[in-house]
Amino acid sequence: MEGDSKPLLDPVCRGSYTDKGSTDSLDRGARRPFHVEHRNIVENEPSERVSAEASVLSSRVHYYSRLTASSDRLLSPPDHVIPCQEELYVYSPLGMAFKVTGGDGGAKNPSIITIFAIWNTMMGTSILSIPWGIKQAGFTLGIVLLISMGLLTLYCCLRVLKSPKSIRKTISTYIDTSDWEFPDVCKYYFGKFGQWSSLVFSMVSLIGAMVVYWVLMSNFLFNTGKFIYSKILYNYKLYKLIDMVCLFPNTRLPPPVICPFPDTGDHRGNSGISGLYLNTNNYGNDTSDTAVFDRWWSKTNTIPFYLIILLLPLLNFRSASFFARFTFLGTISVVYLIILVTLKAIRLGFHLEFHWLETTQFYVPEFRLLFPQLTGVLTLAFFIHNCIITLMKSNKHQENNVRDLSVAYLLVGLTYLYVGVLIFSAFPSPPLSKDCIEPNFLDNFPSSDVLVFVARTCLLFQMTTVYPLLGYLVRVQMMSQVFGKHYPSFFHVFTLNIFIVGTGVCMAKYYPNIGSIIRYSGATCGLALVFVFPSLVHMISQKRRGELSWPSAIFHSLLIVLGVANVAGQFFM
Amino acid sequence: GMSSTAMKKKVLLMGKSGSGKTSMRSIIFANYIARDTRRLGATIDVEHSHVRFLGNLVLNLWDCGGQDTFMENYFTSQRDNIFRNVEVLIYVFDVESRELEKDMHYYQSCLEAILQNSPDAKVFCLVHKMDLVQEDQRDLIFKEREEDLRRLSRPLACTCFRTSIWDETLYKAWSSIVYQLIPNVQQLETNLRNFAQIIEADEVLLFERATFLVISHYQCKEQRDAHRFEKISNIIKQFKLSCSKLAASFQSMEVRNSNFAAFIDVFTSNTYVMVIMSDPSIPSAATLINIRNARKHFEKLERLDGPKHSLTMRMR
Repeated sequence: MEGDSKPLLDPVCRGSYTDKGSTDSLDRGARRPFHVEHRNIVENEPSERVSAEASVLSSRVHYYSRLTASSDRLLSPPDHVIPCQEELYVYSPLGMAFKVTGGDGGAKNPSIITIFAIWNTMMGTSILSIPWGIKQAGFTLGIVLLISMGLLTLYCCLRVLKSPKSIRKTISTYIDTSDWEFPDVCKYYFGKFGQWSSLVFSMVSLIGAMVVYWVLMSNFLFNTGKFIYSKILYNYKLYKLIDMVCLFPNTRLPPPVICPFPDTGDHRGNSGISGLYLNTNNYGNDTSDTAVFDRWWSKTNTIPFYLIILLLPLLNFRSASFFARFTFLGTISVVYLIILVTLKAIRLGFHLEFHWLETTQFYVPEFRLLFPQLTGVLTLAFFIHNCIITLMKSNKHQENNVRDLSVAYLLVGLTYLYVGVLIFSAFPSPPLSKDCIEPNFLDNFPSSDVLVFVARTCLLFQMTTVYPLLGYLVRVQMMSQVFGKHYPSFFHVFTLNIFIVGTGVCMAKYYPNIGSIIRYSGATCGLALVFVFPSLVHMISQKRRGELSWPSAIFHSLLIVLGVANVAGQFFM
Repeated sequence: GMSSTAMKKKVLLMGKSGSGKTSMRSIIFANYIARDTRRLGATIDVEHSHVRFLGNLVLNLWDCGGQDTFMENYFTSQRDNIFRNVEVLIYVFDVESRELEKDMHYYQSCLEAILQNSPDAKVFCLVHKMDLVQEDQRDLIFKEREEDLRRLSRPLACTCFRTSIWDETLYKAWSSIVYQLIPNVQQLETNLRNFAQIIEADEVLLFERATFLVISHYQCKEQRDAHRFEKISNIIKQFKLSCSKLAASFQSMEVRNSNFAAFIDVFTSNTYVMVIMSDPSIPSAATLINIRNARKHFEKLERLDGPKHSLTMRMR
């Protein structure tokens, strides 16, 4: 019959809401193998190596596939109907049966790889703001908060991870939640409102990250250019031997650590000791050359616009899979940062003094009222709740998910703690105040520092590759929600990109304080996706199963209150 | 007598839009589902239904209780027409449905119309898509629904089945329905047994002609595969689909090897027969003559009860 020549497998790509841009992943259902009916009817073999159910299901699927067009999935077997892996055999024409082994098409990773993937994804640019955050909260309080926020966000992350499974248990009908992400869970519990609000908050975190990236990229590009220019300028000046003495009469080596903005808000009372504060724009007394350079190479006035030329075209690419290959750069950058921080700490030594509640000239109190700023930063630093389900799906031993996630959070927390504590402790406090620690701690090092120059270049390169990926995620989620397609037309996508880039440029020009951007966007998106939705979802599912107890209800309501307080604290502190 | 489309006896297949009726019909009757039918929403199916069933019954498919107001209005205005001359009402419920109250309401209004226009109709309720319910919950949920439906259907008696296109329940439910619709089926069964024993067949199956649902069977020894009826039905329906592509129609089939011989042939106006002989020494011709002679006998049986059937048709 001609039906035999038609393939049994249906190579259709299923695009779904949760398809976060991995456009070359085929639908796993289409790749699933089917057993071949044992056609040896000559002998009366009593041992059937396939179950009767699998055999008749195969007959049904064979028949149903004749009733619809090959691309129509109306009569395709859903996942829960296919026999489980242990019952599938492949028969060779010679009559031997092989059991189908291996995963169902998706790669299964050992725990180590999963833990590493989670660590890699969570390590973002917020690592640069951790020392500043610890400074804002006070050293002791900062460490305590870092550990507590890590535990809190870990708990909420576990709730997110377990939320699709609890759907299967609550009602008697079987819904296939195997490719659901957390926004789908929200849609299930809260309908359209849940779907739209989880989208909006997810956008807040993504666009917030993209704005931070723009500010940081401007910063790093500026410093890189400055470094290169000053090296060229120095070499140029070197040839004019006579001028050397005149040109650099009072030069010292730039100090190892600087306070870039001595007179601004936080740093009251430090302007007395002005000798050590070098204006980063002034290397020599030759003002004419540098003035031109400074005008065209300005951190806030021109560089944000130069970046448009580089990045806007990249954002308009249809697919971002090219940029996904560069994720290893992020790992290298973080590892390099850790090494850098260690080297600096060794060179600068430790400068810690514990003043519990009073502000001194060089130190900050151990407990400060500005601590909500740290919690805001940490919410974004520990944020992975919108993609944790997808990340853990490829874990080989699913029963170890809780353990592996906890280990990943522990490692992330340790990394942040290490960087934060070392920078804070090593910050040279007798000449400078701890208050000088910048939201981007690399700003505390002059542009001529070679080690830091390398760090900035690495990070600049890494961010250039992650920025289009983030843009792609924003585009896919927003476009499929609003227009139903990933790429409605060039003009739609271009408009969106202009808006995102415009926001970044404005922020870089008028308000390049990444500490604030991170904490506001962190607290806002954390409100929905870390605190409120996971707790609500858990309480509702417990209630439906009749398992909601008073301690659980109180604890989760408390989490929601904490989330709201986190956001409120950003505005009032 | 006169017979226009309005006078033919009907089998109504009704249920909420999206409950699975089109898929069900396609599977049972081996109709190709064109992709667009799914997209049109409500199935506007009545006048185009060419599916004949049990010889003289016409299958009509109706979406009942969908959101489509046009369909609602058309339905209400044509109500009497739709529910006249109905032999069987098959109502499909989606077990997943979140609007149980609404579903029951529409079901009841259909029953009212049946009571008014065709009070002798047989009513069957299918609780469909049961594969979506977890296995340990299925019996419980079905029992609940069955009780509710029985209660709501009074004074009419309804027979309930739980079905899913992904297991044997659909095939078995429709086989039971067809079994109840065949006139004097018990007599057919007795005669079938006698026939089988006379010709020394291993197994004899009686299929309904349009759907290849097994109406009755006789076997003289234990058979290994409990699902063989559905499998044969699927194979023959696939073959019919292939034949129809060539504008040919399936008449009969003989399959033979050193261990057995199987014959599938037209039997009566409503049925097909499949005879399996495990004695390969009996020549095909002998079995075919036996089948031909039996055919005459069975047709007489059908005609005995037949006049009642066609009389009622003429009188409406």
